[in-house]
Amino acid sequence: MKQVAFGLLGSRLDQSIDDANRWQTWRPSVAICQHEDLLIDQFELIYDAAMARLANGVADDIRSVSPETEVRLHELTFQDPWDFEEVYGGLHAFASAYAFRPESERYLVNITTGTHVQQICLFLLAESGHIPGRLLQASPPRRQQEGQGTYRIIDLDLSRYDQLAARFALEQQESLSFLKSGIQTRNAAFNSLIEQIERVAINSRAPLLITGPTGAGKSQLARRVFELKQQRRQLAGRFVEVNCATLRGDQAMSALFGHEKGAYTGATTKRDGLLRAADGGMLFLDEIGELGLDEQAMLLRAIEEKRFFAVGADREVASDFQLIAGTNRDLQRAVDEGRFREDLLARINLWTFCLPGLAERREDIAPNLEYELTQFSAKTGQVVRMNKEATQRFLQFAETEAAAWRANFRDLNAAVTRMATLAAGGRISIDLVEEEIKRLQTQWRPCVVNQRGRSLHGLVDESQLDNFDRVQLEEVVRVCRQCKTISDAGRKLFAVSRTLKAKPNDADRLRKYLARFDLTWEALNS
Amino acid sequence: MTDQLHTIDGSQGEGGGQILRSSLALALVTGRAVRLENIRAGREKPGLMRQHLTAVRAAVEIGAAEVEGDEIGSQTLSFRPTAIRPCQRTFSVGTAGSATLVLQTILPALLIADGPSEIVLEGGTHNPWAPPYDFLAQSFFPLINRMGPRVSAGLERHGFYPAGGGRFSVAIEPTPQLVGFELLERGEILHRSATALVANLSSRIGRREIEAAAEKLSWPDSAFHVDASIESAGPGNVFLIEIHSEHVREVFTGFGRLGATAERVANEAVKEARSYLAAGVPVGPYLADQLLLPLGIAAWQTGQGGSFATQPLTRHSQTHIDLLRSILEIPISVEREGNCCLVTVGKEMR
Repeated sequence: MKQVAFGLLGSRLDQSIDDANRWQTWRPSVAICQHEDLLIDQFELIYDAAMARLANGVADDIRSVSPETEVRLHELTFQDPWDFEEVYGGLHAFASAYAFRPESERYLVNITTGTHVQQICLFLLAESGHIPGRLLQASPPRRQQEGQGTYRIIDLDLSRYDQLAARFALEQQESLSFLKSGIQTRNAAFNSLIEQIERVAINSRAPLLITGPTGAGKSQLARRVFELKQQRRQLAGRFVEVNCATLRGDQAMSALFGHEKGAYTGATTKRDGLLRAADGGMLFLDEIGELGLDEQAMLLRAIEEKRFFAVGADREVASDFQLIAGTNRDLQRAVDEGRFREDLLARINLWTFCLPGLAERREDIAPNLEYELTQFSAKTGQVVRMNKEATQRFLQFAETEAAAWRANFRDLNAAVTRMATLAAGGRISIDLVEEEIKRLQTQWRPCVVNQRGRSLHGLVDESQLDNFDRVQLEEVVRVCRQCKTISDAGRKLFAVSRTLKAKPNDADRLRKYLARFDLTWEALNS
Repeated sequence: MTDQLHTIDGSQGEGGGQILRSSLALALVTGRAVRLENIRAGREKPGLMRQHLTAVRAAVEIGAAEVEGDEIGSQTLSFRPTAIRPCQRTFSVGTAGSATLVLQTILPALLIADGPSEIVLEGGTHNPWAPPYDFLAQSFFPLINRMGPRVSAGLERHGFYPAGGGRFSVAIEPTPQLVGFELLERGEILHRSATALVANLSSRIGRREIEAAAEKLSWPDSAFHVDASIESAGPGNVFLIEIHSEHVREVFTGFGRLGATAERVANEAVKEARSYLAAGVPVGPYLADQLLLPLGIAAWQTGQGGSFATQPLTRHSQTHIDLLRSILEIPISVEREGNCCLVTVGKEMR
């Protein structure tokens, strides 16, 4: 690897009072080429036009002490080397025009010379990766000693420092634990999902989309993300939460975007609206799929421009907020059906996180049970305990397929609340657990049938079907019912594989598939 | 050539750059591959430094060698020479490192190459911890020439720390086999001089040095000189004492440096010269160190190296002897009698 150094010719430091004494003077640009353990193959030395003579002298001296170094002089003159804008602009342009070859060259940025403003600009360019290198800081030899002094190489990649890395790892662990409300979740998929969310939340202000079934914890997670960003001083504003399903008609516009006094009948006072309230903070729009098309258009503009019109207003208001959207719907399908704007979806699903339901992370039921009990105790001021036997019985039920957990954490929360409320003397007994299990089973029974039978009911005998086939068949039936012709349905279902066939006969393939289940196109679409 | 690497622990004995340079020199001469480990271990900045790297690259060039680990800070180096190629080129050493040390690495091989070489060396010519140019030209090369080859040198420009920029050339007419010699007597002293060289500094420094030396040496005034018109890129000063005897010439040097008075610099050289004169031997400690390698090669080639009488061996020389025994597999004996050491390299001569 070739070592390339960048530096500014020091108008003061690289100069000596007189020529004869220059070798007794510590000159940083020369000195960094005199170290036995630092070989600079190429030195890009930037100098002011007024100092051309000095630049050439320094270059000659570098060649003398370091024949291995190729010195390349670059004239770059600053009217005012203390003017941040001018200096940054000049150095930025220099860095942008430079042909970096990080695969074969390593870079050092000498921040020893130049004005403090120039040093700051070099630091910023290195820190932002415009100059993909490490910083070089040289120091003079100790008083009354000659020589090249010392140097330090400063790598701004903080992860390279063990102690810092350990501290960051700890900080990240704390963030992760915070996002999980301190619950020691065991589900690997969920834990890695939270890790991703943490990384995105810390590093990005882009909108997040959280999908997942109702009760999976979307709202809690959004609030936790907000609180995490607040802790890190990334957001100064408020957390504003609204369920779009509750917004209807004129009220929806007004609630979101605000209105002027007299904007419509009954608008007797000015209202700021939720978007404005979230300025500098976070807006969580739950059930965003329920938002009307007009509101969607306004929202898109508000996200993109950070400006919008309140109802009846002729002047725009500004609001800069981070958006988290939640939905339990398939928004792509809503787009296909014309109920959701494609451009809005594209804007909000840069980061999509799908929260699994409780039934998909049954190993997390135990820690969540503990959490719910603690929460109940904290809320009511009454300590509730569950003995080992009762816990085992509850988990034995909860962790198996027998428990549907249809409303996910809401179900769990309700179950714990019921048991805790009924617990005599603050002890949840095995009998209470048995009772609760019966309650839950009753609650879920019709739903189980309902969910499963939704699309295949009356078509096939589901008890004779593998889960594998059932899922596939359900989707096939769903598509068939949406299409006008069997060819149309075939084209959609075999969209990928058909392109590989010379003569795709989608209708025939689909008919044969249906026949395996004694089904016909006509029977499906009768 | 076998792939068998001769492994050398670079931390043994004196444990510095000397082991590296001598190992490379011997690898070139013998054509054997070497692997150095723990290079400069335990030093403040361990591993290869720039001046060592320059020596390694020069050796790679002369030996058409394959090399691994030739990086700054590397503590392991594998070196596989395939030839000895005489050469005409310039080697430059940075950081005012000593150019004479680079020469030390490649000279032995060039002495027995199958064609003449002319090399130019740039960098420091008069550095502490390295043989100064004057020592090589006055003392060492004449003895080399006694072994068969013809080595001549010319100094173009002095190079001092920190500016460097010195330059000298060395022409080498090789010989296929080095012939050892016996150097047991100094013989009559024919000529002696003490010279202060001053570059880009006040000539007063030189005058103070010769005054200080004259006080101690009681030589005639004509033996003392100041040369303040030395051409060099930067400032520099050395104080040289030359003693020409019937069978050998010796050079002792004091190096001027910041923080050392002129008197102290002169006295350092005087002390070495007086100690040499008092010992009554022909070879001083630094020359002894330099002679071990060529005599060792002669012994390796013919079985007979030679012997010389010298002052008590330095740690440097002891390390050197161990290395020669190990790589060249030759006997070296050292007999000490009071302040005199008799070193015999290879089989005893008749």
